[in-house]
Amino acid sequence: MLGYLTPIKTYAETRCGLGMITQMNVRGLLFDPYNNAYIVILRDERNVDMLPIWVGKSEASAISFALEHISPPRPMTHDLMKAILDNADAKVLSAEITDLKDNTYFAKIHLWHGDSEYTVDSRPSDAIALALRADAPIFTKEEVLRKQNSEELERWLENLKPEDFGKFET
Amino acid sequence: MEPNAELIPLKVHGVLVDPNTDTQIVILRDENNDDVLPIWVGTAEGTAIRMALEGIVPPRPMSHDLITSFANHLGMKITRVVVTDVKNNTYYATVYLSSNGIERTVDSRPSDAIALALRAKSPIYVTPEVLKRRGGENLDAWLAKLDPKQFGQPEA
Repeated sequence: MLGYLTPIKTYAETRCGLGMITQMNVRGLLFDPYNNAYIVILRDERNVDMLPIWVGKSEASAISFALEHISPPRPMTHDLMKAILDNADAKVLSAEITDLKDNTYFAKIHLWHGDSEYTVDSRPSDAIALALRADAPIFTKEEVLRKQNSEELERWLENLKPEDFGKFET
Repeated sequence: MEPNAELIPLKVHGVLVDPNTDTQIVILRDENNDDVLPIWVGTAEGTAIRMALEGIVPPRPMSHDLITSFANHLGMKITRVVVTDVKNNTYYATVYLSSNGIERTVDSRPSDAIALALRAKSPIYVTPEVLKRRGGENLDAWLAKLDPKQFGQPEA
């Protein structure tokens, strides 16, 4: 199901020149007991479109710490990543979920350093974990939303028992 | 800066899987006298270190490949990493970065520091004090209890 996209010009549209990218928010993390993995739920601001991204345990933990504003006693990998960027005076402009191929999502991180923009390939889990720490927006393209078959997730969610939900260990 | 005079260089000897817990053990070794510094790390960090040791390039960048890629883009070099402290069996490390001749440091867990050093081909050091207080005896006891059949390749 593809949602109606607002024609209002946003920061994202100005950046890419086309009204084809949407800002997504991290709405939560689910545990998938069948695959022993976690699902990051991204939703657009109008709550119409959704991207479910399956990630591993340590990636989910990195995202969860940022969502819950937990500062671990020692820096975790993405805290180190952010500290290194801060040290270089590099700013995270945005994370972008760029493609979906064979059930695998691809992402890029846009950085600002000096007077130039740099784009670095990333897994979505790293891009999201870093964007949350840097208070940077997360974008995706309309074609990625179109490729994502949300019915599949809805069917999966319907089969879930309430007791499957819950916080995971950190 | 001549900070390395007192420091002891270590090589990553290997990564063992602890079959009893969900952890892996990175074996660092002083090549001059075979002193060993074992550091317990999580599965993800152990895998990140093992992939660098074995020269495996994953189809998509893992977290430490991404940090290395950032450093390359931003003209930063990871010059060395140092295991600086141990408290209650928890080790602490520092990553040294250099860009435009300016050196900066960032606090890190040893696992992240080692995973980065291997990718940047940078040296790994430990302070003599930390090496003295290492949990080597614990490792010997742990190894003695292990059944050799339990050794094996960790899953990727």
